Amino acid sequence: MSKVERLADEELMPLIGAKDPDAFEVFYDRHGGVAYSLAYRIVGERGAAEDVTQEAFISIWRSGARYDAARGSVRTWMLGIVRNRAIDALRSKASGAPKLNFDDDSILEHKPAPERTESEALRRETAAEVRGALDELPGEQSKVIELAYFGGFSHSEIAGMLGVPLGTVKGRMRLGLEKIRGELAEGLT
Amino acid sequence: MNETGHVSHRDDLAAYLLGALEAGEVEALERHLAGCEECRTELEWLRPAVGVLPESVERVEPAPRLRQNLMEQVRAEADSASSSSTRERRWSLSGWSLRPLAGLAAVALVVAAVAAYAIGTNDSGGGGETTTVSSGRAPGVTAELVSEGESGTLHLAHLHQLPPDEVLQAWVERDGKVESAKTLFVPNQDGTASATIDDMNGVTTVMVTAEPRGGSAQPTSAPIASVSMKQ
Repeated sequence: MSKVERLADEELMPLIGAKDPDAFEVFYDRHGGVAYSLAYRIVGERGAAEDVTQEAFISIWRSGARYDAARGSVRTWMLGIVRNRAIDALRSKASGAPKLNFDDDSILEHKPAPERTESEALRRETAAEVRGALDELPGEQSKVIELAYFGGFSHSEIAGMLGVPLGTVKGRMRLGLEKIRGELAEGLT
Repeated sequence: MNETGHVSHRDDLAAYLLGALEAGEVEALERHLAGCEECRTELEWLRPAVGVLPESVERVEPAPRLRQNLMEQVRAEADSASSSSTRERRWSLSGWSLRPLAGLAAVALVVAAVAAYAIGTNDSGGGGETTTVSSGRAPGVTAELVSEGESGTLHLAHLHQLPPDEVLQAWVERDGKVESAKTLFVPNQDGTASATIDDMNGVTTVMVTAEPRGGSAQPTSAPIASVSMKQ
């Protein structure tokens, strides 16, 4: 294992900001898989998922110096960028509308610092455990969460699709997230 | 904020974290959050529940070409940035070192130099036309704003070419708030560029940043040029 490979994500970011391709390569090898999987889950096509992932990582390469460790984990920041770009691609494809040009930094701006211990603990959660928490949700709650997060639909769009009042959609979202939150490690509270 | 309004905003927190609120609702909620500790606390408590959603996705391995393409592009840009740094060092003046800005390649070389050097306002005579010039002490970008009536034209010179996926975007500062001048442009071959600012009323500063193609809602990088208007 090289010296760069032993660095934590937060230590890689300044190197990426200084245009160190070796640091970026380690960063991609560490997170490229989950990033691509998330993009694929949202856009549903391998080619489009590759485009989204490539755009997101190039954006990180070019703006890595803007990452602020005090505001959350690198992984959460990166996945937020991927999710926004994937939703953007999905909407553009659906409407033929121009891209929304998400400001990647706004992902940080709108997410005040979670405790560092929290983000580290979250990374220890396995995908299976999280899927389990989602599976345990009543279908009506997991559905609105998935439509919003992975489908990019607004609550009013979801209400229209499901034929339920807006307040019901909001309530299901809230109950669902509260249950997932409750299933997370007790150490996070 | 009355209790009904508070409860309404609190009920929006999950939708906000899931990105499911409309733009106007986001703004309203963020205004409420700024003054409501209870909602901020609940928001931060809920946030990890959204943070783990990507981890629930079934893993799919990307094709090896993705990594290959990425690294080819990254190494090419790293080489380019390295070349730019060499040029920059050559331009450094005594007590005025220009530092490269990540991601902006060569065009970023002149950022700091120009930003602080609004020279002033000169009446150029005739037609109420006013020219405000900014210039760095180092050989770099110069910015000139010619205002006439309520509009203005920003003229930039000595710009470096942008990466193909970036454009220049003009911004104005008015009442302490920065807003887009709704003007996107790119440098000409000779390193000059011009942009029209339609509404100069109350503008105290005109700025230019490099943004992703299509522009941004808010600046995502430091200004390449900044012209202060003498009020």
